Amino acid sequence: MPRISPFTLLKFACVLAVAVFVAVLPQIFDSRLDPGSAEFRVGQFTLVGIWFVALLGLNVLTGFNGQISLGHGAFVGLGAYVTALLSLGRPGLELYMLDPPSWLPIGDGMRPVFTIPIAALVTGIIGFLFGFPALRLGGVSLALATLAVAVSFPILMKRFDEVTGGGGGVNLNLPTTPFGWDISTRHWLYYEAWITAGIVLVLAWLLVRGRVGRAFRAIRDGEIAAVSSGVNSALYKTLAFGVSSAFAGAAGALLAIEVAYVNPDTFPVGLSILLLASAVIGGLGSLAGAAFGALLYVFLPIYSQNPPIVSWDFSNQAPAVVFGAVLIAIMLLLPGGVAGGFRRLTGLVRLGLARRRADRSELA
Amino acid sequence: MAAFLQQVVSGLAQGAIFASLALALVLIYRATDILNFAQGEMATFSTYVAWSLMNHGLSFWPAFALTLLIAFVGGAAVERVLIRPVEHRPEIVIVIVTIGLLIALNGLTGWIWGPEVKAFDSPFPLRTVEVGGVTISLQDVGVLAVCLVTVALLWAFFRFTTLGLVMRAVANSQEASRLLGVRVGMMLALGWGLAAVLGAVAGMMAAPALTLDPNLMLIVLIYAFAAAVLGGIDSPVGAVVGGLALGVMINLLGTYVDFIGGELRLPAALTVLLIVLLVRPQGLFGHRVVRRV
Amino acid sequence: MKKVLLAVVALGAALTVSLPGAFARLEAPKARQADPGVTSRSITIGGTFPFSGPVSSYAPIARGMETYFRFVNARRGPDGKRGVYGRQIIFKTYDDGYNPARTVQLTQQLVLQDKVFAIYGSLGTEPNLAIRPYLNQRKIPQLQIATGASYWGAQHKAFPWTMGWQTDYIAEGRVYGKWILQNRPRARIAIFYQNDDYGKDYLRGVKQGLGSRASSMIASELSYEVTDTSYASQIARQRASGADTWILLTTAGTPTVRALGTGRAVGYRPEQIVINSVAATDQVMAAAARTTGQEYVNGVVSTGYLKNNTNPKYKNDPAIRSFRRIMGKYGPEGGVDIRNTFYYYGVANASEFVRLLYKAGKNPTRASLMAAARNRNWVNPYTLTGMRTLTRKGDAFPLDQGKILRYNNGSFTEISPLYKGR
Repeated sequence: MPRISPFTLLKFACVLAVAVFVAVLPQIFDSRLDPGSAEFRVGQFTLVGIWFVALLGLNVLTGFNGQISLGHGAFVGLGAYVTALLSLGRPGLELYMLDPPSWLPIGDGMRPVFTIPIAALVTGIIGFLFGFPALRLGGVSLALATLAVAVSFPILMKRFDEVTGGGGGVNLNLPTTPFGWDISTRHWLYYEAWITAGIVLVLAWLLVRGRVGRAFRAIRDGEIAAVSSGVNSALYKTLAFGVSSAFAGAAGALLAIEVAYVNPDTFPVGLSILLLASAVIGGLGSLAGAAFGALLYVFLPIYSQNPPIVSWDFSNQAPAVVFGAVLIAIMLLLPGGVAGGFRRLTGLVRLGLARRRADRSELA
Repeated sequence: MAAFLQQVVSGLAQGAIFASLALALVLIYRATDILNFAQGEMATFSTYVAWSLMNHGLSFWPAFALTLLIAFVGGAAVERVLIRPVEHRPEIVIVIVTIGLLIALNGLTGWIWGPEVKAFDSPFPLRTVEVGGVTISLQDVGVLAVCLVTVALLWAFFRFTTLGLVMRAVANSQEASRLLGVRVGMMLALGWGLAAVLGAVAGMMAAPALTLDPNLMLIVLIYAFAAAVLGGIDSPVGAVVGGLALGVMINLLGTYVDFIGGELRLPAALTVLLIVLLVRPQGLFGHRVVRRV
Repeated sequence: MKKVLLAVVALGAALTVSLPGAFARLEAPKARQADPGVTSRSITIGGTFPFSGPVSSYAPIARGMETYFRFVNARRGPDGKRGVYGRQIIFKTYDDGYNPARTVQLTQQLVLQDKVFAIYGSLGTEPNLAIRPYLNQRKIPQLQIATGASYWGAQHKAFPWTMGWQTDYIAEGRVYGKWILQNRPRARIAIFYQNDDYGKDYLRGVKQGLGSRASSMIASELSYEVTDTSYASQIARQRASGADTWILLTTAGTPTVRALGTGRAVGYRPEQIVINSVAATDQVMAAAARTTGQEYVNGVVSTGYLKNNTNPKYKNDPAIRSFRRIMGKYGPEGGVDIRNTFYYYGVANASEFVRLLYKAGKNPTRASLMAAARNRNWVNPYTLTGMRTLTRKGDAFPLDQGKILRYNNGSFTEISPLYKGR
């Protein structure tokens, strides 16, 4: 029976603690804040969950497998549109005078929660297919190709307006708790997002700790060496694209349900760029990094508009300047992001402890 | 026929701008294998500097020259301060740094000069000439001429000056150059400075027709990527040919192919980019990179 | 090691700024009324605006609104009290960057955390479409929104808590059509429009205004995308069509200046250029004049529903004088370029809203505010002489008229009687 290091136990304990915290967070808010503010905070943390799912996907692709994607936002958008179309159904779309071609398998409208796995599947398949041509591209070329996808996505959504509602987009039905369950809609959306996040997290964790994850990392750290060692790089690279897009699609579905509106402007190229930036700041190659990135993505824009501590008169363009500067600073000083910083810190602590243990054993 | 030629002519003018920015991208890529996502924003910033200079009384060409100087210094400074520390880090780090610069510069431009549109004086007369039923705007001719002159000067610089030779050597192999005693860092900074100058030229040529606002070069950058890839990401000739060809092509596609129309011009250019990357990654004039183990 | 510490400190700082806000304990306001946002001393309202991003040039609208509310809060009203019936107006504005997903989040913040009484002035068609069902479900007024889409008036029955204000794009387009029929009946028309709801609404209106003669009069109808880097391709074709009347249905700022500049550069000199009202502001026209030469833009025609605040003819108009005074005294630090009509729009819009607040009564509720909005019959002094602000059952378009204005050497002058857009 291999000895489990105390640090691994500590890590599991942390994850468990966070999971419990996430589960009871709505109750904490409800008890400490007035109903309106509590509802708002729960909504904010629902978004954290949603972007956590998206960033987990991006992390798998870019962090663990080394394929730079500047097009992640397009897959999120794809998932969102799938959910919009499926949940409205043809009858709902007719009200917008939309008439999607008959070969599209849009039914008569389904419960939004069931669209989440479908959106993930559809987006995952498309991402997987995209992974094939991507095999021929590396590094910067792939960045450009995915950028091209991100730029084209809103334009295509606008162009094919018989299906997507064009520039004006479509409103989904306002969310309601399904199955007549006795839980407020706000809480339902929160748990829907975080349960999805939990499932995705477990899937991602299983993926990266096993053989697949090792193959991913081998390809990332040296593709030629990996192939020489017998790793089927084509299979794993396309798999990475598929998995990452599926996660993005799930996030998109959740976003569409939460915001109840999709249009091309909701998924501009800036979204893909901001997602990559958040993933990097949070820490690539680390599942926890996705969580930090999601927190940053949701809270930083709002708080740089009206920062609670610093109160100079910010120009409206200042958040962009600050964000860009922070991005550069992190890359120069701490390329592993927040998660990388923590890892280094714990690494230093472990080193310190190990040294002390060694000193003591020397004296003994 | 006249209509067709008209589209070609206006496409060439549009393409000249793509070509100038693409040239800047290629210059940096050749020397350092880095794709500078912030090239467009650096160009926009330089153009605003020129606008400020003209606002303070300078006429166009003096402002133009001074701006090129400022752009040169700025570009070299960016290389030294932001890029040098991360040069040898993984690609993703460098990509993020240039993206961070893009975001910061775009915000900074809006912060300093405000988002309202500004008129940018054109150095060329606002007249047109009729040639065989085709109306050619002198502005367009001027832009094309300036871009070609810039390319020619650049070519002469690289071909006939010692400095140009040294920079070419560095682009070829940093290691070998270093061993030969070349100050590689200085050469790289110079390269970035030159690229910034090219970007500034592109911006100042684009601004009169496109009008000046903080997002001037955002979409042009995307087209410049497509142009650079089409021509060959490490070929200056390719950048120019690619830019001009792309400008003409999207005009023709937009006018004569109904499916594309006005709406899908940008996706059409991006499809070209994707196809070239997949089928012939070295573009029209670039060199195939073969990785030997 | 030092670098790591430095980075950790920097990150810690960034997170310190961000995270505590997430857990901040908030004080519930002392609500004496049934509706949130109203206390004995204040009324809180809020809206979302694109302060950053591709359409940030519209931001002065919010600044104009803020300025007017500052004025109202400082001056003594008709009842001798400051503010509205003694209540100070607190106007919260957030930046949504024109991304509807952010609009939804920020509107929820306004409603749930800031507990606004009403959503006021939010800018943009798609952003307002995104929040409309949410606000109507919760019976929260969505008023005086800064968009000329016809959705708000046309679908008022389905969404009774939502109402726009300005003459909508379709109505405005009809005014152009009618004027051309009357004054240039033999015109050959070229239309250059932005390829989205904004441009298409205008286009629809123009065609409706031209009626049965639309197809025979329109020689060329071409669109552009916001992502286009050159309009030369389309404008060369419009020139080739031989049209003598050129209608530009472009957004304010770059597209308009670029279109005019390109027209000039390719030698297109139509007898009459028509530009839609949102774009034809003095500031945009001045930028265009610099690009094309004053001569090219003199004679451009547009419509308006607001008085042109830089026209010398209006120098002594009480509304214009009060506008200048208000902007001067309560406007943003460092002054503003009042040629930018967006400030005037903001003030005009805000003055209308203040009037609605008064009409909602000494103890306003959301329902009384909406009732006031649905029963207007008055003159807003900032609008053109003769225009009436009118809403009633079956008419949810407060303004639906316009006059044709002609531009010359720096300002617009009215040259036509009032047309009805609806």
